[in-house]
Amino acid sequence: MAAIELSGVSFRYPGSTGEAIENLSLNVDDKATHALLGASGAGKTTMLNLLSGLLLPTSGRILFGDRDVSAVPAAKRNVAQVFQFPVLYPRMNVLENLVFPLCNNGWKKLDAAARALEIAKELGIEIVLEANVSALTLFERQLVAIGRALVRPDVALVLLDEPLTSVQPELKWRLRRTLRKVQADLGVTMIYVTHDQTEALTFASAVSVMHGGHILQTGSPMEVHDHPEHEYVGFFIGSPGMNFVKAEVKRGAVRVNGTALASTDHAEGECTVGFRADWAMLAPDGLPVEITGFRPDAVQNGMPVGIASLKHDGNRLHVRAEGLIAPGPSHVQLKHHMLFREGRRVA
Amino acid sequence: MLPEQHNNRAWFAVLPVVFIVAFSGVVPLMTVVNYSVQDILDVNTRFFVGFDWYRDALRDERLHEAFLRQLMFSFTVLIVEVPLGILVARCISRSSRWTPFVLVLLAVPLLVPLNVVGTIWQIFARGDIGLLGAALNGLGIEFNYTQVPLHAWITLVLMDVWHWTSLVVLLAFAGLSAIPPVYYQAAALDGASRWQIFRHIELPHLRSVLLIAVLLRLMDSLMIYTEPLVLTGGGPGNTTTFLSQYLATMAVGQFDLGPAAAFSVIYFLVILLLCWLFHTMVVSREP
Repeated sequence: MAAIELSGVSFRYPGSTGEAIENLSLNVDDKATHALLGASGAGKTTMLNLLSGLLLPTSGRILFGDRDVSAVPAAKRNVAQVFQFPVLYPRMNVLENLVFPLCNNGWKKLDAAARALEIAKELGIEIVLEANVSALTLFERQLVAIGRALVRPDVALVLLDEPLTSVQPELKWRLRRTLRKVQADLGVTMIYVTHDQTEALTFASAVSVMHGGHILQTGSPMEVHDHPEHEYVGFFIGSPGMNFVKAEVKRGAVRVNGTALASTDHAEGECTVGFRADWAMLAPDGLPVEITGFRPDAVQNGMPVGIASLKHDGNRLHVRAEGLIAPGPSHVQLKHHMLFREGRRVA
Repeated sequence: MLPEQHNNRAWFAVLPVVFIVAFSGVVPLMTVVNYSVQDILDVNTRFFVGFDWYRDALRDERLHEAFLRQLMFSFTVLIVEVPLGILVARCISRSSRWTPFVLVLLAVPLLVPLNVVGTIWQIFARGDIGLLGAALNGLGIEFNYTQVPLHAWITLVLMDVWHWTSLVVLLAFAGLSAIPPVYYQAAALDGASRWQIFRHIELPHLRSVLLIAVLLRLMDSLMIYTEPLVLTGGGPGNTTTFLSQYLATMAVGQFDLGPAAAFSVIYFLVILLLCWLFHTMVVSREP
């Protein structure tokens, strides 16, 4: 187990014109759970393969603790990975699957079996040790795959590539809880890749949002939700995502088509104003909008509260509202906002 | 879902299939069964002889030898073609732009007509003008497949390997391509050796296609006729006379229709039995 450090890592697939990962730097603390979050094509899988050593970076350095592993191939990196669906050796039973990585690293059979039993108990699969993997449910198989990833006590890093994808929805929570418990008990460094933000935000102590081969922002789940450094982060994180409206700063106020929405001391000029659904409200005056729908999700003081869908200049906006919301014209006022220029947050 | 309905008229829907199977399979087979219990002298003169022909066939020494040769041949080609096919399939890159070209090239022998295959090898292995035979002789290795039984066998097996290994290669390649790449990634991270990857990932995933390959090659090699007939004519002596050629000699050469028919039925049952054994012992033991 070790802290992971990537500095200036780039990777280009042979024969392709662009970099899949470009000048990327990342620090993951020892024993941390770090989530890589992004849409498909953001470079998450390439990142995983760079970390595991299945791909070697075209430039940049990867450190595991003090050890420079930039040029070390997968077999020598001491990294384990859990895949989207359970990857097990089909003709082996559970125990044989679990001891396989140990025996390949020169463990004695008896020691390996003892260690496998320890891990199996941790995961609650000790009763199926003798079973052939083909006889197990998908859920149990994924537990075995996780067991095989965790069985090496000195494993430097465990990579999880959307490990809940193949598990039935009602078992996802259970598997995630098991993962968290195991992580706490064994103190391994985990990097968890997913496109599901709920999964990432509830599992990890730190989140990196990836887009187009870059990490746009790294921070705690709270930070990336409440203080997105980048328009894309605001849009991608949160349900619904952040609202964005083209605006300009003029005479100490943020204005949309001349209507002042909020005062600001930021430099004048074009910008984008961003606000979460909770940071705005419907009001008699302000930004003119058209209410197109209302989805209540709770009742407070006898009134429905929920997310109102709005239209402004062809843009869809979402604002938290309460009461009986009917379709028709209305206005929005901001309680809190952020300003973005060229995609980056400036205020 | 609709409630289940019973209507016996539905059986009429099966009739076309019954007719097709009857005319393509059952009727010709029954004709043979009919012949096999008669002594046929000419079209109008025939006697019912019961199971005499069967008894004769089962006691025929030459037939026993042909049967053993047949088993040995099938066994040999399976032992060579299946591992060789897997090996070649493993060497074909899965992502190169040349892959389709290589696959088509490999399939070429499968498209060559059987008697042409026989002729190609008949010439190829000749000691005087054949590339293989003359080259061997030129190197000082006496090679003559028309005189030496071992040489005839080697030539036959080489020919069959040339002709049919591609089938195993194509099947194995399809099987290997179907293995998700994550299995290889997991194995790399687990520090598995090349042999362990083959043993624990590739072989289990190839199991079902290999069973098909073995079954196809077993059935086909048990029925081999044209190629040895053209290549060696069953010689030298009877050393490469397999069951089908023995049968043809009996039926067409000597016109012993009764014994030939009896032998046909036995031959058919033996192939059926072997394939059934293979199926019950190996295929249906799949978990």
